[in-house]
Amino acid sequence: MLEIKNIYCSITDSDLDILNGLSLKIKEGETHVIMGPNGTGKSSLAKAIMGHYKYQITKGDILIDKKSILDLSVDERAKQGLFLCMQDPTVIEGVSNSEFLRTALMSKTGEKVNLYSFITEVEKSMKEVKLDTNMLHRSLNMGFSGGEKKKNEVLQLKVLKPKYIILDEIDSGLDVDSLRIVCDNIRDYMKENKDASLLIITHYPRILEYLKPDYVHILKDGKIRKSGDISLALEIEKEGYTGIKDGQDE
Amino acid sequence: MSKVLYVIDTKNKDYKYKIDEDTIIYHFSINSSSKVTIDLITEGVNLYYYYNNINYDDNEFNIKVNHKVGNTHSELYNHGVNVKNNKLTYYVDGIIPKKSAKCICNQDNQIINIRDGKSTIWPNLLIDNYDVDSNHSAYIGKFSEEKIFYLMSRGINREDATRLLLESFLINSDSIDLNKIDEFVKEIDKI
Repeated sequence: MLEIKNIYCSITDSDLDILNGLSLKIKEGETHVIMGPNGTGKSSLAKAIMGHYKYQITKGDILIDKKSILDLSVDERAKQGLFLCMQDPTVIEGVSNSEFLRTALMSKTGEKVNLYSFITEVEKSMKEVKLDTNMLHRSLNMGFSGGEKKKNEVLQLKVLKPKYIILDEIDSGLDVDSLRIVCDNIRDYMKENKDASLLIITHYPRILEYLKPDYVHILKDGKIRKSGDISLALEIEKEGYTGIKDGQDE
Repeated sequence: MSKVLYVIDTKNKDYKYKIDEDTIIYHFSINSSSKVTIDLITEGVNLYYYYNNINYDDNEFNIKVNHKVGNTHSELYNHGVNVKNNKLTYYVDGIIPKKSAKCICNQDNQIINIRDGKSTIWPNLLIDNYDVDSNHSAYIGKFSEEKIFYLMSRGINREDATRLLLESFLINSDSIDLNKIDEFVKEIDKI
């Protein structure tokens, strides 16, 4: 279980608070959604969980299977099963996709990865996410379109097989077909890995047609103001955030 | 088909080239200073110069590219890693006299300081002709924390993430034949 326990978070070397007493429990197999107005702390939450250097937790705790991860480095958190699908994946010129993925896989397993079986498996996954297999040998995210970058994030997810997946606006900048491909692959992954759980950060309910959530939370001013089921997301789509009152929908 | 030259320095050296055909030069330097003078002497020639440097003491890299005739093209990619608290200085000159029209003269200079070395880049474009396409860039600093975060977020530890970035920075062309720079590749592993 991933548990966020009353966390307060600020930007490193600044007094600016971004999260103000946020709590959330994500059990195995569950899909949670966080929605909220721009600048309310959604992406900051994702990065803070992953241990991004720009964010510091000033109070509260984040636990995986009841053990705090706050003292763990970013790579150690990843090895605990955390995976952040980034909104704008970083471009790294000169580091090839294959070199990067193989190094990540070796880091995860602690064993040498056979090149032939690695290439075979990755190329199979690339076909499933409809990425050209030549992209495996190109620099990481360099020259990739917005859609290709998002598919490449999903490719990494399929190869590294994490347990706690955070999708930070994976739907932004995707056309209808690409959104379906990305979501189909994530849904298949969740079916194959019953203990995996999903935290979706989004502005749009459309993604929830493909990835059915168990819970929807509204984040405002760095705190979860309301929780409910998918009907809450549809209400937001219709009414906007201004009409939402604090509270818990059952 | 371009002519390809590999140069590996471990001692201070000076080089002079007269370029009369399309040429790619891969220049690798391990803790040494170099002075390079290149004259582009035939119209239509292209020069690609990749300088990659691992530095431990105070050193300088000085390169001058003279576009002696018009319609010539030079691209310089100068990458250095300054490992200790020492001085590394690049002087990079692209020179286009008045008589040499329609030249392209570009340079990209980057130095990564692993510790707190004092690095300086002097990117100079000395151009006396209006019909020229020319750009330069210079960066001195550490590897981007955002890149390291991205690599680490996939389970790669900081040391391995830095190594991936170092290798990509210092072997900055897919066309480089690693068998020809074995000594340099081994030196990257020592950083």
